Amino acid sequence: MQWNNTTLFSDDNPADRAFRKEVRDWIAANCPKDLCNRPLRIDPPELKPWHRKLYERGWIAPHWPKEAGGMGATLTQQIILFEEMSRVGAPTPYPHGLNFIGPLIVDVGTPVQKALHLPSILTGDNTWCQGYSEPGSGSDLASLSTKAVLDGNVFVVNGHKIWTTNGHFADWMFALVRTDPEARPRHAGITMLLIDLKSPGITVRPIQTIRGDAEFAEEFFVDVRVPKENMLGQLNCGWQVANKLLGSERFTTGHPRNAAVILNRARQVAEYSGAIRDPAFLHRMALLEIDLLAFSAFYRHAASLHSNGRAPPSMAPVIKIAGGELGQQASELLVDAAGPLGSSAVDIMIGKTAFNPAGDLFEMRRVTVGSGTVEIQRNILAKRVLNLPS
Amino acid sequence: MELLLNEEQVLLREAAAKLGASMGGPRQARTLRDAGIESDAAAWSEIVGAGWLSALVAERHSGLGLGIFDLGLALEETGKHVVMAPLVETASAIWAVTNAIEQSHPARNAIESKIVVPATTLPGQRYDRAAGVTFDPQESILTGSVSFVPFGASAELFLVDMNASGATALCLVPRNAAGLSITTTPNVDGSTSGTLIFSRVRITSDEIISCGEATAAILTKMQELLVLGTAAELLGVAQAAFDMTLGYVKLREQFGKQIGSFQALQHRLVNCFVDAELNRSLLFQVLSAWDDGTSHPAMVSAAKARVGKGALNTVRTALQLHGAIGYTDEHDIGIYFKRAVALAAKYGNEITHVGRFSELTLPAQLAAG
Repeated sequence: MQWNNTTLFSDDNPADRAFRKEVRDWIAANCPKDLCNRPLRIDPPELKPWHRKLYERGWIAPHWPKEAGGMGATLTQQIILFEEMSRVGAPTPYPHGLNFIGPLIVDVGTPVQKALHLPSILTGDNTWCQGYSEPGSGSDLASLSTKAVLDGNVFVVNGHKIWTTNGHFADWMFALVRTDPEARPRHAGITMLLIDLKSPGITVRPIQTIRGDAEFAEEFFVDVRVPKENMLGQLNCGWQVANKLLGSERFTTGHPRNAAVILNRARQVAEYSGAIRDPAFLHRMALLEIDLLAFSAFYRHAASLHSNGRAPPSMAPVIKIAGGELGQQASELLVDAAGPLGSSAVDIMIGKTAFNPAGDLFEMRRVTVGSGTVEIQRNILAKRVLNLPS
Repeated sequence: MELLLNEEQVLLREAAAKLGASMGGPRQARTLRDAGIESDAAAWSEIVGAGWLSALVAERHSGLGLGIFDLGLALEETGKHVVMAPLVETASAIWAVTNAIEQSHPARNAIESKIVVPATTLPGQRYDRAAGVTFDPQESILTGSVSFVPFGASAELFLVDMNASGATALCLVPRNAAGLSITTTPNVDGSTSGTLIFSRVRITSDEIISCGEATAAILTKMQELLVLGTAAELLGVAQAAFDMTLGYVKLREQFGKQIGSFQALQHRLVNCFVDAELNRSLLFQVLSAWDDGTSHPAMVSAAKARVGKGALNTVRTALQLHGAIGYTDEHDIGIYFKRAVALAAKYGNEITHVGRFSELTLPAQLAAG
């Protein structure tokens, strides 16, 4: 049997197998080659035509219900779509509109909000960003202090959001803001607002990352007027609205393929550099391949439980911790595989393929910090799953 | 995470948990160890009575027709209760024998209700390289030696793989065969490692159970069963040590608080938990793939390597979090610690299996060059 770390434990039934083939063939025919396997991040504007093609094919929002314009796909089909895209290194559309705010609007949005936002999220015409973190509120998100004060039918927003992925490309932001400074517990005074970033009083400043690109931005709000009808869910219920999201969206952001891609890069680079003949390298690679196999097994197991409505509360934090740390270790191996080229600031060309080991190393630092650090995830497991005392 | 099981599987697991709770436990394991007894006769007779020895045997061969996935469920439970008995060995040997011979073969009766232990050296085990048994077909005699055979003191029959003029053959050798000498040395958990020395041991043709082309494949599969079954037991040992530690940190107070409230200790426990979650998913998917005939040999090594590594890390953490009491022989956590050390070393430790995994997954051209 051929060993292939990206197809192990694949358990497609005949219908899923047929779907996988359909997806594979369509991607081969339709995905622009110059978008595939790019070592650097692709900014949203360049991604729009590909987003549009997926939309026109009906595959842009596999997890959305059909009546909202999605596919109403099974979890397995969603995973297949993701797997087939990443198999050829095709970029996956950014999740902020499609995976984060879209499903929340479908779930708790007003008819007006749905009509206004869902179509442009699906077509990719509007880019979204998530306004949660603030300079003083990172892991302790519930302490956030960007204020929204109701003035008639308008919220007046003042404050400062930061670490906003795609903030400088976004048309809209979904933001958590403080609407009740006295509320205890503090998260009971938070509301979710949909903010048009073209509103007067907003200054957006891109922030260069260690990766060398400007992935995220910060936004300053000075007396920004947001109509009350842009409130998502009830007043002071923003925390509950945001928390509706922690489930199946982990299945694409936490897919084992993310680590497999980097591990396979490490193997290719090692063949080029000669590291592949070094027993110390081989031992480290084997350990990570074994970790990948274990994580893939966990992921499949979680997906089958989720499909049966029996996913445990431990699932999302475990995916985040194990998948994130595995991807990180894979990127560290990739840098070591490159030897002296590991510190190169420019792409290494092997044949026609570009590699950027240090870039992957930097990119992977993000995954254990963003959307809840792995330390916060460990606190969640300690408290809610192991029932350890405070 | 929970495994999605059918009703039979749930019952099997419950029965194993019950057997373990009533017959096993760390105190019993300590008593056996102190008495120098490697196998618990009372627990063994319960296991025989439960029919699990024929768990892996197809129904058409009068077995239970279950798979290693099912047996793994039972082994995880007996592992939790540190049951000292050759269930993995005998079930694997019986699987091999029944797959190698016809129903009417006399060996079929010879193994009935017997403790049958494979005397085999797994590929990739680098110690004792020269060991092995050679068969001389002219005289029908066995010569050579096998080391690190478990249950050497209690086995009634050994299933020996031998080199018969370059081909692999399997035979059953009774422990009292003339010319067979057995010595055992104790391991930390009360189990033993045996060395079998074959000095011109004469065997009959009925004792040769396999010598055809299929033999090597049967041997490989049986060895995989030994590895996987041991990994399942080890998973249970680590789980029991983890559960005991989780209970302890919620009781023990220092600085006026339960020590389980300290984040440094919480994160160590969470790391063990995350690792065990991945290992359980990995092992049971490999067991399931083995039953379906879709497992890759590298998966077997991956499972043993990772379960072994995780179990050792868990019992080390368990001992550390128990503080000084954990270092006493009286406290049960040490029994789990020693059991994990023994099972992790058995049938290939992490280093052996990671090396094997590497060999099996490396592209062929690299292995050649």
